[in-house]
Amino acid sequence: MRTALLAAAACVIAIGVAAGQASKPASAALPDWSGVWQMIGPTVFDRASVQPQNGRAGDPGVREFPPLTDEYEAIYRKNIERIKAGTFPDPISVCGVPHGFPRIMNVPDVYEFAVTPAATYVLAENGPGIARIYTDGRKHPPAEELWGTYTGASVGQWEGDTLVFETRGLKESRDNDVIIDRTGLVLSDAARVTTRLRKVNDTTLEAVMVVEDAKALKAPWKVTKQYRKLPAGTWAWDYGCAENNRNPISGSGKTLTIGPNGKPLDKNVD
Amino acid sequence: MTFTRAIAAAALCAAMSAPLAAHHSAAMFDDEKVVELNGTIKEMQWTNPHIWIQVVVDNNGQKTEWSVEGGSPNSLSRNGWRSTTFKFGDAVSVRVNPMKDGSAGGSFIGAKFKESGKTIGRWE
Repeated sequence: MRTALLAAAACVIAIGVAAGQASKPASAALPDWSGVWQMIGPTVFDRASVQPQNGRAGDPGVREFPPLTDEYEAIYRKNIERIKAGTFPDPISVCGVPHGFPRIMNVPDVYEFAVTPAATYVLAENGPGIARIYTDGRKHPPAEELWGTYTGASVGQWEGDTLVFETRGLKESRDNDVIIDRTGLVLSDAARVTTRLRKVNDTTLEAVMVVEDAKALKAPWKVTKQYRKLPAGTWAWDYGCAENNRNPISGSGKTLTIGPNGKPLDKNVD
Repeated sequence: MTFTRAIAAAALCAAMSAPLAAHHSAAMFDDEKVVELNGTIKEMQWTNPHIWIQVVVDNNGQKTEWSVEGGSPNSLSRNGWRSTTFKFGDAVSVRVNPMKDGSAGGSFIGAKFKESGKTIGRWE
């Protein structure tokens, strides 16, 4: 029995090593994405389609135009109305909730991109925000082994200097507990995102994302984000959101402001 | 333009094109309205997810403490702020987008220190 177990373990290890060797590049072949980076522009996810132009995520009436199905267009419109009423809270206001994918590619503060042969890690300072992209030759888990998580499961490979990866297993928004941005966009648990991440010049990284979602989208939705390299020596810091969160959410979804006496300043708390 | 001014201008441009750091909806603030508070600093809370500047305004003996929200210390520190930028007792003018409901809170725009005349944030 013991021999059989050892043989099985050796077999698993051998398969794992072989899988890793299949596509894992040597460290020297990997691009240099070191340093600290900042997303260029505001946090509207799809700035190419936002109306009004230069509208800010969270401002009343600002929206994008992805190819939404009727069902998800209705959800979006409902959320837009909640924004107008001031009752559409950002789920990350409850400190500890991750931005999720693809929103993690669309956040303020700064980023670091840690590239290793086996995986690339997107480290968003504003968080918690970590996306793990495995490049060790593994495949996505089969559907029955996946469940919806904020950041999903990302697997990719290198095509020259471009990291190409697909993200699956994303959490479906339930009462807007995960959003794409503050305009009120949400996706379903059928969402899959194919991302091409590359350095376009010494100071610019670019992520081209194609979102497919059989429930929420009628067609693939392409969104491009860019990140500017900050001066050498720039620091990224700890972001302890719960350190002093003075913005709890009321029962109706209103974002409150805590005053110096520990109670809401707001005149109407519901 | 002096070197210092050029650096300051470049930093301002970078700050203006960078996404604003906030961890919550800004629906409570009236960004069409600006209120200038003239008072003294009670405390600056140099904490995530936002810094808070507590400003006491004395209006003919009627003291009101305002809670002024800024960005994260992370992003502000990269734009020249320090945990000691506002100190207890500093006499200041602080401009804010106030809360829509008239409560004594607002979103930081800029400030001027009365003793030194120095400004921070947007102060035109």
